[in-house]
Amino acid sequence: MSEPILSIKNLEKTYPNGVQALKNVSFDVKKGEFLVIIGLSGSGKSTLLRCLNRLHDPTGGSVRFHEQDIVQLSTTSEIRNLRKRIGMIFQHFNLIPRHTVLSNVLMGKLAYTPTWKSIFGLFSDEDKAEAMKYLNLVGIAEKAYIRADQLSGGQQQRVAIARALTQNPQVLLADEPVASLDPATCHTVMDYLRKVNQELGITIICNLHFLSLVRIYATRVIALKGGQLVYEGDPKSIDQAWFEKIYGEGAKEVHIN
Amino acid sequence: MKSGEKSKIFRRSILDGVSFALFVSVILSLIFNPTDEELLNLELISIIFFGAMLAGAVLSHVLNIAGYKTFGENLFEPAYVKAQSEAKAWYNTFWGWHLFTTILVLFIVGIFKSKFSMYELLDEDGFEGAKRLFKGIFSPNWAVLPAAVMNIIETVFMAFMATILAIPFAFILSFTAAKNIMKHPAAYSFYMFIRTLLNVTRSIEALVWAIIFSVWVGIGPFAGMLALMIHSIASLTKQYSEMVETVSEGPIEGVQSCGASKLQTIWFAIVPQVMLPYISFTVYRWDINVRMATIIGLVGGGGIGTMLIKYQGQAMWPEVGTIIVVIAAVVWIMDQASAYIREALK
Repeated sequence: MSEPILSIKNLEKTYPNGVQALKNVSFDVKKGEFLVIIGLSGSGKSTLLRCLNRLHDPTGGSVRFHEQDIVQLSTTSEIRNLRKRIGMIFQHFNLIPRHTVLSNVLMGKLAYTPTWKSIFGLFSDEDKAEAMKYLNLVGIAEKAYIRADQLSGGQQQRVAIARALTQNPQVLLADEPVASLDPATCHTVMDYLRKVNQELGITIICNLHFLSLVRIYATRVIALKGGQLVYEGDPKSIDQAWFEKIYGEGAKEVHIN
Repeated sequence: MKSGEKSKIFRRSILDGVSFALFVSVILSLIFNPTDEELLNLELISIIFFGAMLAGAVLSHVLNIAGYKTFGENLFEPAYVKAQSEAKAWYNTFWGWHLFTTILVLFIVGIFKSKFSMYELLDEDGFEGAKRLFKGIFSPNWAVLPAAVMNIIETVFMAFMATILAIPFAFILSFTAAKNIMKHPAAYSFYMFIRTLLNVTRSIEALVWAIIFSVWVGIGPFAGMLALMIHSIASLTKQYSEMVETVSEGPIEGVQSCGASKLQTIWFAIVPQVMLPYISFTVYRWDINVRMATIIGLVGGGGIGTMLIKYQGQAMWPEVGTIIVVIAAVVWIMDQASAYIREALK
């Protein structure tokens, strides 16, 4: 548990319009942990996650991942190779609406498949079997041949988890995975993430809004405020004082059951 | 000065300048009453016009500084300024009268330029001619119906081939003409090149392309088809690429996060989003092409248009009547069918 899989040092991100989204952020992500990032909207949580798989390009600092500095990667193939090993799920699921669940999950194999083969839909039988395996894992295999936009939000997020798992990632980034789901579905999706974390040993870095969820699922928590790291530690030790420091004075905690 | 402010002043100066130059030209021709011969002196006329335009631009600037808002200023001022200005009836504003005078002068000049004449319209001889024509048209000669049907089939297929052959070109070009895909500096210059090429191609009417190709490959449906194809490629690429520019970012991010290549991202995240609108635009383009193919036939593009111009030249109105009926029927059917198909694709 102690060995870091990702080591983030002095990470900076300034957008072309001058907004400084991340200021000198440093922390380690330990192998196999369920790390949760909290903070207000606009505090830089999403930007941080997107810097880790280079959906955004950081403007300074370093991120060490297997003896490699993610920030320094420049060619398309290097970045593809990185994304292959770091899966991601999103608040709005980001599936292809008109495609079937199975073909959405097979997107996880894009980085492993030559472009011309993938365009003709020529995924190998092993790939398909693997996709079905992960659909089984998130309990949605019976929907494999249904169009993705026919599913409920919670089901779509589970498909997105299966898609990310099909990449065989070592790290899974989750950007507000339950923010557009109802409270009951919230727990189902979070439970699957925990299952992925505990049974497959995949390190999870997850942005969350609700502190009650943080206390249940996180093994460790960091907090961002205005692009800066303001807290790092055990989720259970976030008390009222910390809460007000992170979310501003007079903020009230909303509970989700 | 911000670039928006600069481009506003530029547009305002042109519009107000042209409007002032119009007034000056009209006043000058009233004073000097030039002959047709004198009006052909393009050099002198341009010096006067562009000189007046420049003076108009300066005048517009002076007026706006003095607090009289010209029509150009009112039209091109930024939306937030428009939203803040108080509502006034047009006849209480300077720009209102400016616009009114411009349109009035344009209308009066237009009457002279288009040789608008009630007398010609109601002249007895002319009216008799029209009566003969209508009488012919309304008693169609059905003997030419088989030939007309054969020719309209040629026209429909000409339009069909032009559309089908334009699809692959337009499909591929549409991605290179979409701003959200061509972000990289090198890609952006290619995007600008394609955009310019398309704009030039589209600004040359299909009719002109037909004239070019009728010389190149000879008069006939092949020339018409090539003309329509060129025009369709340019139009479809523009419509397609506008669709590409409005796709939602979510699926793109999703597919990219899996490590997809550029081509895979386009194929899996963008193509599914634009497929239905693409088909819809294409069906509509076929419909438009059938109508354009008729017109193109008039200049040697083959099909029903060529047949029509032949009979019209000989004033064989009953035959023309038959052809008109056939064209109207096919255009109406295509129009309805394409509307139903596009409705179903929504």
